[in-house]
Amino acid sequence: MILQRFKRKGGAIVSALSADEVDLLSSLTEQLIEMVSDGQPDQLGAEPAPAADDDPFARWARELEQTEDESSVPEDPVLQRLFPTAYPKDEEAASDFRRLTERDLRSTKLTEARTVLRRLAETEHGRVPLRIPVAESGAWLRTLTSLRLAVATRLGITDAATAEEVAAVPPDDPRAFMASVYEWLGFAQETMIMAMDR
Amino acid sequence: MSQTEGPGVTPAGGTAIVERPTEDALDDTPWVTIVWDDPVNLMSYVTHVFVTYFHYPKAKAEQLMLKVHHEGKAVVSSGTREAMERDVKAMHEYGLWATLDRADQ
Repeated sequence: MILQRFKRKGGAIVSALSADEVDLLSSLTEQLIEMVSDGQPDQLGAEPAPAADDDPFARWARELEQTEDESSVPEDPVLQRLFPTAYPKDEEAASDFRRLTERDLRSTKLTEARTVLRRLAETEHGRVPLRIPVAESGAWLRTLTSLRLAVATRLGITDAATAEEVAAVPPDDPRAFMASVYEWLGFAQETMIMAMDR
Repeated sequence: MSQTEGPGVTPAGGTAIVERPTEDALDDTPWVTIVWDDPVNLMSYVTHVFVTYFHYPKAKAEQLMLKVHHEGKAVVSSGTREAMERDVKAMHEYGLWATLDRADQ
């Protein structure tokens, strides 16, 4: 896989991603959207209604609708990592926090992932260079982070030792492709941060 | 550290305020936001988050990031319980592994 850097060009961050890179990133982001919206009410899977959050009654109604389920720890290890337990020593406070924040967190992740997909689609499968307005760089960095956390969890990266093991998998290892994807995501994120800091 | 009380650091979309029992409101023990080390997030990214969200100077953000990396965790902000819940939620938005606790724990 050719590694394309992200570079700063005026008010945008650009990268001439290949068709393969665009397709890979799009597919991973679509999987993320599916994972994060899984088991959620339909409105979360759709484009968000922009005014909903400003309406206290809509919010109140939504909070009342929430089921008991939303205060419990997700079963999927990827979701456990994306939505960590805020109070490790206080189960009740932890589930209150989860009930009051997880829906917002999911909705933010979905909105930002859709922003990423939209820009990727503009490249027409890599025919046009990817152009990310600097204002969207936060959404990109956070989405790349979610993707890296998801891929790392699937690769069994739990500590420094397993991270090193994955970094050193031989090409014939069944994990080799995902390991290279993980490395690519890290490279993309690192160069994007460098491009933003300049 | 009271930087989290400054202007412009209220994260977008912060909606939920947890209702506390009265005795809790009278308890003025400060709370802290703790960021834990994880094998995935890049050092440059963690520093970037501390600069972007907390508006810490780069040197301080780097110091905190290294503390997380070498000691396994670091207190990144302190204040009221409500403020720390906002900070923890924001850290989760950024994909960092954060928790909150009483400052005296």
